Amino acid sequence: MKKWLYNPVLESELKIKMRGWRTAAAVSTYLGIMLLISYLYFNMTFNNVYRYRNTFDANYSIGLQIYTMLAILQFALIILITPAQTAGSISGEREKQTLDLLLCTKMSSIGIIMGKLISSMSFIFLLIIASIPIFSLALLFGGIAPSDIIMLFAFYMITAFAIGSIGIFCSVMFKRTVTSTVVSYLTIFILGILTVIIGVNMLSSYYSKFVNSATAVDPKFYTPFVFYLNPAIGLADILARQSGNSTIDAATLISGVFGFGYYGSSNPSGVVAGNRWAWNQWSLWLRNAVVMLSIAVALLAASAWKIKPVHRPLRNKMGGTSNG
Amino acid sequence: MLVIKELVKKYGKFTAVDNLNLEIEQGNIFGFVGPNGAGKTTTIKIIATLMQPTSGIVKVDGMDVVREPMKVRERMGYMPDFFGVYDNLKVCEYLDFYGSSYGIPYRERKKTADQLLELVDLSHKKDSYVDSLSRGMKQRLCLARSLIHNPKLLVLDEPASGLDPRARIEMKGILRELRGMNKTILISSHILSELAEMCDTIGIIENGKMVIDGSVDDIMRRITGRTLVRLKLMDRLEEAVNVLKEQPMVEGIVQEGNTLEITYDGEDQDLWKLLKALVDHKLPIISFGKADGNLEKIFMEVTKGEEVAL
Repeated sequence: MKKWLYNPVLESELKIKMRGWRTAAAVSTYLGIMLLISYLYFNMTFNNVYRYRNTFDANYSIGLQIYTMLAILQFALIILITPAQTAGSISGEREKQTLDLLLCTKMSSIGIIMGKLISSMSFIFLLIIASIPIFSLALLFGGIAPSDIIMLFAFYMITAFAIGSIGIFCSVMFKRTVTSTVVSYLTIFILGILTVIIGVNMLSSYYSKFVNSATAVDPKFYTPFVFYLNPAIGLADILARQSGNSTIDAATLISGVFGFGYYGSSNPSGVVAGNRWAWNQWSLWLRNAVVMLSIAVALLAASAWKIKPVHRPLRNKMGGTSNG
Repeated sequence: MLVIKELVKKYGKFTAVDNLNLEIEQGNIFGFVGPNGAGKTTTIKIIATLMQPTSGIVKVDGMDVVREPMKVRERMGYMPDFFGVYDNLKVCEYLDFYGSSYGIPYRERKKTADQLLELVDLSHKKDSYVDSLSRGMKQRLCLARSLIHNPKLLVLDEPASGLDPRARIEMKGILRELRGMNKTILISSHILSELAEMCDTIGIIENGKMVIDGSVDDIMRRITGRTLVRLKLMDRLEEAVNVLKEQPMVEGIVQEGNTLEITYDGEDQDLWKLLKALVDHKLPIISFGKADGNLEKIFMEVTKGEEVAL
């Protein structure tokens, strides 16, 4: 393995994690929950179809519904699992009194942080891979292409990365794992709720300006920035795009209550006239992913800086007088 | 090998290390002694590049701990006073993990790990889980871990703390072997006698300051002619202290529980006068006698920590 690719923390974390029955049990439970919920959903849907129509029309919309349901379910599970995976990574080392031993090795602090994050993400990746057979239920009915699923899974990984970095940051900032876990869940919860509330306010105040105006405004050109902080909105956008103008609009499930879910479905390609590389020409989920990734990178850099035990004084770096 | 110049570490207003100077030659074993809270661990953490000094210079093999921490880590092995181990990791994997953290190639670290396990007498536990080891074994394993990258300097913070006598003797045996390997070792303890027999030089730290340092013999020579008397009482210790203070030859009193340790500058024939004075006050004395162990005397002499008189 290439030297720069090799991360001892990652190797050892994976070894420890995969040893014993815990991971196997976790994956089984995870799949069990997904399977149970999709079974209930199947049951309900088919019962409804039989009762009201007396025929079973296995058209693609059922596949799409199942896909959407699974996508949201999996997304919710990832949001719930990732903080638990990461929030104890550094504080746990501190509690076990192994952090100092790790810091005085030749590993860089960013290497330690990335090892921790990637090992947690690989667990999420394992869950996602393990869920492919359940997702293929949706493929049975058609309406969803494998490329849609790949896109969705990529977005999952980006979400796991972003949420994971929040967990890591908390575990660096707080001494105890319990505090760190609570704070990271709270942060994610507040981020999820607050961004929607603030965003809706911003939207309504923005559009209220045009209520009496004669000029029509394309709503596509205004998206409150706070929406980019919320992965649920990115997911809604992806699902809306993928389902097109079908009977179910995933955006309505999460954000449609407020009436902004239709942007995505209005123009699946996301390309209007003008420079297609311009920021506001990107699809919403992509902008969402980019913003989340940048924040995650900033949090990880901050975490690495924070756990680094000694920092070269600035004046020494500049070639100024030495201390002492 | 290790040079400390005017090292200062402050936590807010509290000064943990106060203008500390120290130099250790290659191949020397240095004993770092001081009561709990004297600044030993703080100094050691600064040497181990785990703490930022407020001011001063610390150099390991010519490398500055603040400017070139990575180069210092390459040259230094560190064993903390308290440390943990990972669950679900085997002894050989534990060493392998730290070996890889130091960037040692796979084959080399496998070989080194086997040799080190031999050294610390844990070869038979190679495939056991780390958390199943006894405290003494963990301590030895941690020592092996700190040697995995073949450092020139070894910094051991209280390596014998919490060990039973047998494990202590085993630890000492290992250190003796390391000395044969020409490693420079800095070893801290709050018990002087524990270090004296294996160290070339010792330094006594008190309130963040190096009170005295030099070879054991040298220090002994510097403080001579005084007797240490140990006195145990049932109670009324304060009264006893007051009585002792009145005695002209008493130079220092240190209280430890029900025991008073008295530094006494006088001949043996004067000692009974001291006892008489105490008895005259009807103090409940349980035992009274000259304490042997010059090392403890030195320690008491130079650390004024809990002194109650003079």
